[in-house]
Amino acid sequence: MSARQAIQVGTKTVKPVLSVTQGEARLRVLSLYKAWYRQIPYIVKDFDIPKSEEQCRAKLKEMFLRNKDVTDIRVIDILVIKGQMELKESVNVWKQKGHIMAYFKPTEEPKPKDFLSKFFSGVE
Amino acid sequence: MLRQPLTRALALSPSRVAPLAARKFAAQADKVEVFIDDKPVYVPPGTTVLQAAAEIGVEIPRFCYHERLAVAGNCRMCLVEVEKSPKPVAACAMPVMKGMRVKTNSDLTRKAREGVMEFLLVNHPLDCPICDQGGECDLQDQSMAFGSDKSRFTDIHFSGKRAVEDKDVGPLIKTIMTRCIHCTRCIRFASEVAGVDDFGTTGRGTDMQVGTYVEKMFLSELSGNIIDLCPVGALTSKPYSFAARPWETRRIDSVDVLDPLGSNIVVATRTNEVLRILPRTNEEINEEWLSDKSRFACDGLKRQRLVTPMIADSRGNLTPVEWEEAIVAAATALRDCPPDKLLVVGGDLADAESLVALKDLANRLGSEAVCTEHYFPLDGAGTDLRSSYLLNTKIANVEDADFVLLIGTNVRFEAPLLNARIRKAFIHKETDVALIGPKVDLTYEYTHVGDSASIVKDLATGTSSHEVLKRLENSKRPVVILGADQLKTSEGPALLAYTQELALSLQDKLENKEWKVLNVLQRTASQVAAMDLGYKPGVGEMLQKGPKVVFMLGADAGVITRENLPKDCVVIYQGHHGDAGASIADIVLAGAAYTEKNGTYVNAEGRAQQTLPAVTPPGKAREDWKIIRALSEVVGARLPYDNLEEVRARLAEVCPSMVSYGDVQNNNYFAQARALAQSLQKPVSGTLDVQLKQLEDFFMTDSISRASPTMAKCVQAVIKQKQSPY
Amino acid sequence: MLSSLRSGVKGLWRTSARSLQTTANLQHDSLFVHRDTPEDNPSIPFEFTPENQKRADALLEIYPEGHKRAAMIPLLDLAQRQNGGWLPISAMHKVAELLNLPRMRVYEVATFYTMFIRRPIGKYHIQVCTTTPCWLRGSDIVLNAIKEATGCEVGGNSPCGKFSISEVECLGACVNAPMIQVNDDYYEDLTVEDSKEIINKLKKDEKPKPGPRSGRYASEPLGGLTSLTEPPTGPGFGLQDSLK
Repeated sequence: MSARQAIQVGTKTVKPVLSVTQGEARLRVLSLYKAWYRQIPYIVKDFDIPKSEEQCRAKLKEMFLRNKDVTDIRVIDILVIKGQMELKESVNVWKQKGHIMAYFKPTEEPKPKDFLSKFFSGVE
Repeated sequence: MLRQPLTRALALSPSRVAPLAARKFAAQADKVEVFIDDKPVYVPPGTTVLQAAAEIGVEIPRFCYHERLAVAGNCRMCLVEVEKSPKPVAACAMPVMKGMRVKTNSDLTRKAREGVMEFLLVNHPLDCPICDQGGECDLQDQSMAFGSDKSRFTDIHFSGKRAVEDKDVGPLIKTIMTRCIHCTRCIRFASEVAGVDDFGTTGRGTDMQVGTYVEKMFLSELSGNIIDLCPVGALTSKPYSFAARPWETRRIDSVDVLDPLGSNIVVATRTNEVLRILPRTNEEINEEWLSDKSRFACDGLKRQRLVTPMIADSRGNLTPVEWEEAIVAAATALRDCPPDKLLVVGGDLADAESLVALKDLANRLGSEAVCTEHYFPLDGAGTDLRSSYLLNTKIANVEDADFVLLIGTNVRFEAPLLNARIRKAFIHKETDVALIGPKVDLTYEYTHVGDSASIVKDLATGTSSHEVLKRLENSKRPVVILGADQLKTSEGPALLAYTQELALSLQDKLENKEWKVLNVLQRTASQVAAMDLGYKPGVGEMLQKGPKVVFMLGADAGVITRENLPKDCVVIYQGHHGDAGASIADIVLAGAAYTEKNGTYVNAEGRAQQTLPAVTPPGKAREDWKIIRALSEVVGARLPYDNLEEVRARLAEVCPSMVSYGDVQNNNYFAQARALAQSLQKPVSGTLDVQLKQLEDFFMTDSISRASPTMAKCVQAVIKQKQSPY
Repeated sequence: MLSSLRSGVKGLWRTSARSLQTTANLQHDSLFVHRDTPEDNPSIPFEFTPENQKRADALLEIYPEGHKRAAMIPLLDLAQRQNGGWLPISAMHKVAELLNLPRMRVYEVATFYTMFIRRPIGKYHIQVCTTTPCWLRGSDIVLNAIKEATGCEVGGNSPCGKFSISEVECLGACVNAPMIQVNDDYYEDLTVEDSKEIINKLKKDEKPKPGPRSGRYASEPLGGLTSLTEPPTGPGFGLQDSLK
C-alpha cells in the first residue's frame, strides 16, 4: 500500500447530508424543536386529541431527548429531516387523529413474557 | 363342540399346519426353499404362497384374505401362476412346496387377476362418488392397479346388475349390501374374534348375500372393526356417513383413554373437529382392533363440553367468567382452606401431567389428601409395589396362557380387547378359562366356579376340592386376573391377599421363571398413573374428615356428591365435560379432552403412552396442567415448570417409566408383596359382583361416552334388540 | 313381490312424457332374508313329535362328538316333513338348539338348499320338470294343464291351499319325460289327461299310482325291446378258435 493511499484512508471524509459542523446540526435541531413547539396548540385543536398542551410539550421533549445521545452529524440530519416531514404532515392535516395519538401510546401491546400473563392472555 | 368354526379347522391355516408339517419333515431342514418371481425365499413348511411372497416384499392383491382371520379363499383375487400347475392357484390358501416357482407378475397371473376383477365388478354398483369407502376402498385401488382398462359389461340393458337389500345391524354400522363382494371377512370376524355368530351367507349362486337372515343387531362390543375389515363400501360407519373423504382429514396418532388398555388410535380431524377414530396397529395391545366405545364415543367430544370457566353466582347457577376471575376465585378458596381440610381427587380420564401438577400443588399447600376415585387396598404392599396393581402378564402374553382364571371381572366389557385376546387363546391354543364371579357372557365357554369370594380363599389355601385348583396347578402358563372393582369392599384387602397368594404360589412352581401369573385389571385409564404418582386410591377416609375445599380433576364417577360433603364446602371442578362433577361445582375450570392435549397415560399393564393434540380445546378451555400451573402461581405456591418438557422432567423424577413411551417394564418384588399380604389373609364371605354385566351397560361409562349421542343410540338399540325374539 | 311393484310403477311411468330406462332385476323365486308373517314367525313354537324326536336322537347318534353339526341337513329335513313340507323359522331355531349351534349357521344351510322351502306351501308340492328333455316332450302343456287344474301359479299356492307348483330343473328322469314330482313321488310319461287325473285324485286326497303313465314298467323302450332280445351268450363267445 502506498503512502498516499494510506493518508487517503485515514483522512477519508464522507459527503455531508446537510450540516457540515456540529454547531450547524445543533441549530437545525433547535429550529425543528421550536417549530414543533409552536405548532402544538394547533395540533391539539385541529386533531381534537384528548391531551393538553402541557402533555404534548412533555411528549415533544421526551421524543427529542430520546435521541440525545446521537452524535453522528449525518444521523442527526436524517432525524431532523424525518421530524420535518412529520411536522409537515401534522400541519397539513395529512395525519389523522390516530397517528398523533400513536406518539402517546403504541397500538401493539407488548407480548406477555411470564407463564401467568401468557395463560391469561390465551397464548399459553 | 369344536371351538373353531369348521372353516378354520379345514382351512390350511399356517398355525395349524405348521406343527403337523414340522413333525413330518423333522428329519429334513425345517425350512423350505421356494422361488417367488425367481427370487429364492426360505419359509417354514405350511406357509402359504401369499405369506412367502410378503416375506420378500411382493404383495399379492387380495380381498378375502386377512392375516388375523381364517383363510377363506373365496375371492380368487390372489391367483398366481405356479410353474407346473395347470391352473393358477389361490396364493392365500396354497401352502408352499419345496422348490415351488411362483410367478406373481406373469401374463397368466395378470390375466387371471383381470378376469377376477371383471367378475367382481359385474355386480358391483358404480356408485363410488356417493360411497363412503371412496378413497380407502380396496376394490377401487385394486381395480385401478389390476383391473381391465375397459368394460365389456353390456348386460345392463338386459338383466341389470344384481341388487341386494340393505340390512339393519344397529346404529353403528351402515350397510349397503349391493356393494358386497362376498369376501366373508365380516362373517369370519364375527365368529372368530367377536364371538357373536350372527353373520352368515344366505342363498346361493348369484342370490347369495351376506347378512343376518333375520332382522338383528350385531350385538358385539367389537362390531366397529368390521367397518375397517370390509374391503368395499358395504359396511361403513353410520355416525361418519357422508362426513368426509380420507384425503381431506388430518390423521394424528393418539391413545384411547376410555378403557384401561390404552389402545392405539388414529384421530381423523378436519377443521378442528374430530370426525372419527380408527385403530392403529400395536401388536402389544390392541393388534388392529378397537372397541366400539373407543371408536364411536368421539361425538361425545362435541357435546356437553365445558367451554369457559364458570363460577356459581348467588343463586347457585354457574355463570361464565374470564379465566382471571375463575383462577382468582379458586386461588382464594385454596388459600383460605386449612391444609388438612383440602381434598384433591383425580378422575378417570386425567393425564399424568395434570395429575403430577395437581399433586405438587396440593403438597405445596400442605395437603396430603390427594386421592383417586377408585379404592385399592393400602394394607400390605398397597400401591408401593407396582406388581400388585398391574396386569403383570402383559396383554399380548395372555395369548400364550394355557389356563386363565378370572376373579370378579367381566373382561368382555371392562377391557374388550383383553377379552378378544383370551378368546383368541381359547380358540387357537386350547386355553381353558374359569370364572369366579357372576355368570356373564364372555363369548367363549368357561368353567363357572361360583360367585363367592371364599372360593378364592379355598383355592389359595389349597383346600378347594374344585377341579379348577388341579387345572391351575397342572398348567404351565396360568394367568389369574382380578377385577379391581372387587377391592372396593371391606373384604378387598383379604381378597387381594388371597389372590396374590394363589397366583404367586403358582408362579413359584413354574418352570418358566419369566412367566407372571398375577394380574389386577384396573377399570380406568388414569388409575395406574395416579397410583404410580402416589395418589391415594379412594376418597372415603378423606370425606369423613369433612373437607372445606374439594378440587376435582375430572372426577365424574359420582363418588363425591353434595350429600357426602359439608354444606359450606367449596367444590372446584376442572374437566372437559359437564357431567356429575361439574354439576356440583362452585368453580368450574374448563380443561381439555384427550384428543386436545399432549398427555401421558399409563395403561393397565403399566405401559406409558402419550396422546397428541388433534384439535384445539373448544372455547376458552385450556390444557389441564397449565390451568393448575397458573392457579399455583396465583395461590402463591408457584410450580417450577412452564412447559411440557419441564413437566415431563418432573414426571420422570417421580416415576421414570412414565416418560419411556411405549415401553413396559417387567415387574418384580412378587415375593415381598406376597409376604406383606400374608398377614391380611382373613376369612372372606362376600359374593363377587361386576358393574358391567350386559352389553347395554358397556356403552356409557365415562363423561365422554355419556355425552355421546351415538352411545345413547347403542344402548337403546341393544335394549330393543333384547326384546326381539331373535 | 318386487316385480309386481315394478310393473305397477312402470304403468305410471308410461303416462309421463319422459321415459326412464329401467333394467329388470335378476330375481329368485324365494327371498333370502326372513320376514315375519302370521304363519312364520319365531313366536310360533316348534317341537318335534315324540316319534320324530326319537328319529332326531337316532340321527344325532350317527355322528361323533364334535361333529354333531353334520346332522343338520337330516334334522332340517325331518322338521320340514313334520311341518307339512315347509320349514318355519322356529324349526330352524329348534335344530340350532339341538345341535348347540348359532342360529345363523342353520339359516345358512336352510337357505342354501332349494329343497328346504321356507314359505308355507300346500299339502301337495308339485314340481314340474321343465329342463330340455322334458320340455321337448311337452312339459309346457303339462305345466299349463296343472296350472289350470289347480288354479295355482308357478311359485304360488292354489286358492284351496292344497297345491303348490314349482318349476324345477332336471330331476333325473329324462327317459320318462315329461315328468312331475309330487312330494316324494315321481309321475312320468305324462300327458295332459294324466296330469289332470293326478290332480283330481289328489284333490280327493287319493294317492295316484306313481311311476310311468305310458304302460311302461320303468324306462324300457315303449315298443318292446329293440336290442338284447336273445338270451346272453356263454363265455368264450366270438373268440378265435385258437384261443378257445
